[in-house]
Amino acid sequence: MTTPTDGRTETGPEAPTPRTAPITWIRSLFARTGVAVRGALRRRDGRATLLLVAGLYSLTYLWALRDLTATGPGGLDVFVVSEPITTALTPLSPFLFEAVARIEAGPIVYLFRPVNVALGVGLGLLVGVTLAVSVVSWRGPDACRIGAGAGATAGVPGLLSGFACCGPQLLVVIGLQASAGLVAAMQWMVPLAVASLLGTLLWVGSRVRLDPDYSRHRN
Amino acid sequence: MSHTRRRFITALAAVTAGSSAGCLGRPDRPSADDGPDGEPVVDLGVPCTDSGGSVDLSGGRPAAAFDGTRATPEATYADGDLPLRGTPLHLGHERSALVDGDMSGGVGHDGIPSIDDPRFARAGDVELPGCARVFGVALGGDVRAYPQRVLVHHEIVNDVVGGEPVAVTYCPLTGTAQGFYRGGTEFGVSGRLVNSNLIMWDRARDVRWPQIAATGIEVGGQRDTDGADRHLGQSLREFRVVWTTWRRWSDRHPETLVLTEGTDAARNYNRDPYGSYEPPVSGHYSTEAGRQPNFPLLAYDSAESKRVVVGARTGAGAVAFDKRTLMESSVLTGTLGDAPVVAVADEGITTGYVYANPEGLPVERDGDAYAIDGTSAPPDGLPLDRLPAFDAMWFAWHGFYPNTGRVEI
Repeated sequence: MTTPTDGRTETGPEAPTPRTAPITWIRSLFARTGVAVRGALRRRDGRATLLLVAGLYSLTYLWALRDLTATGPGGLDVFVVSEPITTALTPLSPFLFEAVARIEAGPIVYLFRPVNVALGVGLGLLVGVTLAVSVVSWRGPDACRIGAGAGATAGVPGLLSGFACCGPQLLVVIGLQASAGLVAAMQWMVPLAVASLLGTLLWVGSRVRLDPDYSRHRN
Repeated sequence: MSHTRRRFITALAAVTAGSSAGCLGRPDRPSADDGPDGEPVVDLGVPCTDSGGSVDLSGGRPAAAFDGTRATPEATYADGDLPLRGTPLHLGHERSALVDGDMSGGVGHDGIPSIDDPRFARAGDVELPGCARVFGVALGGDVRAYPQRVLVHHEIVNDVVGGEPVAVTYCPLTGTAQGFYRGGTEFGVSGRLVNSNLIMWDRARDVRWPQIAATGIEVGGQRDTDGADRHLGQSLREFRVVWTTWRRWSDRHPETLVLTEGTDAARNYNRDPYGSYEPPVSGHYSTEAGRQPNFPLLAYDSAESKRVVVGARTGAGAVAFDKRTLMESSVLTGTLGDAPVVAVADEGITTGYVYANPEGLPVERDGDAYAIDGTSAPPDGLPLDRLPAFDAMWFAWHGFYPNTGRVEI
């Protein structure tokens, strides 16, 4: 996987640009990103990065939601609500859904919200894929250094979205005053996170070029 | 399920409630968090020294399952009927100002689920630390305790006590626990706040009722009910809810039932999302000078914002007594509008009662009772007109009633 050594996105004489052929350019962007992602995930280091980052991110997201806390009394206990399916789809606030189970194991208390687990895993996968492409690219022969940090930076809004679910409560705990505008803005954190993660993934993907020979040799 | 007392406080909530000897308006007084033994007095007015112990509030049964409870409605209400006061309560602002101050609390409609099928246990069948905060209700021969650790996750319990359908309500942000007769409807949490205070909605017609004001301010869009507007400006009928501790309440009322965690909601009752009343008092409950209310207020005052007051209001006005001073002095006098009022302490359950005292009769402590007009009466039974009163954080009371009478504040 390589990128132009001068750090610019490769654009040959025939390459579409946003101005001359926007639709073609967007298709190309997605295609290149898809190729970059597939290329990264064919490699062991790419897959390891994806799994590690997605796992850590998901756990951090659940902690940010305060669904995963160390407030347990000890012992083991599982409680499931009487109507889990209906409950799972009950929204409490934008992008926060009702918990269907409480699991206590030693010091750990976990509230299981299926929809939010899906959201957290989805965000984690986006961060993980971005980082996987970045890491594989960074370790590539051209050492293009597009920067694994790009993926990590992209993950910040996603992580913040975890706090955003219960933003006003967070403000209460840390002692900041909420305004109507701030509360409203926090409701957009999850879509903002998804958009920024997708944008970063496309940006990262557009800057790499798959080198089949290199990819084959490293595997 | 057995819960040992939690000691873990989240990193975000770990705000040290250290000494704040320079509290606004009380430069010569130690922190309101600290009693003589370093125990918190922030919400009780006296130290609580029995904070150890374990928690087991699992399971439980409907109140109707207990012999002797009047847990089936005896009063007859048509669907949607709501008992209202004959005379609306005083509002410290134009109703439109309350509507303008209505803002999202960050959760949706019923995003904080009320408890509509409460389950109880007998006092002897649960484990709860003596200092655990409970909201006590003694009504129509029934006695109930609603632990703060449960209500902080639900805010409203739609219950039947003494044969009357009632709602026991709690707003963590304003530190207010109040009881309302609900007739033929239920109350829910609208997800909206005004002056940091819970706005309830009645499920029959979606009239919005700020808890402290207890007065209909607007009609929401959840129901399409004719005549909802006639409730605007009207006030709910209230009954007394006592903010106290489990040891004090169960000592006074050994027969009490206690609300359990059997709520059919998956909640972490070991964790208070807003902070901790246990030492060190932290998060939103901290009285540190830097800890200001988190949502915009209708009015601001320079006195210590989290100081706890015993407030009372009628159609004529409002008055607030500093709870700590009341607990220390036993009797305080003030005025509500132009009328004299008197507050007396019930130290046994750390609460205060407020009475209209139009003739200005002298009231004096007489052991555990009070001497008035040649007789001796218990704190909750003086031969005067008792006014609806409840504990509140000062900022919240003043926000709603900026022209309130204030005693030792």
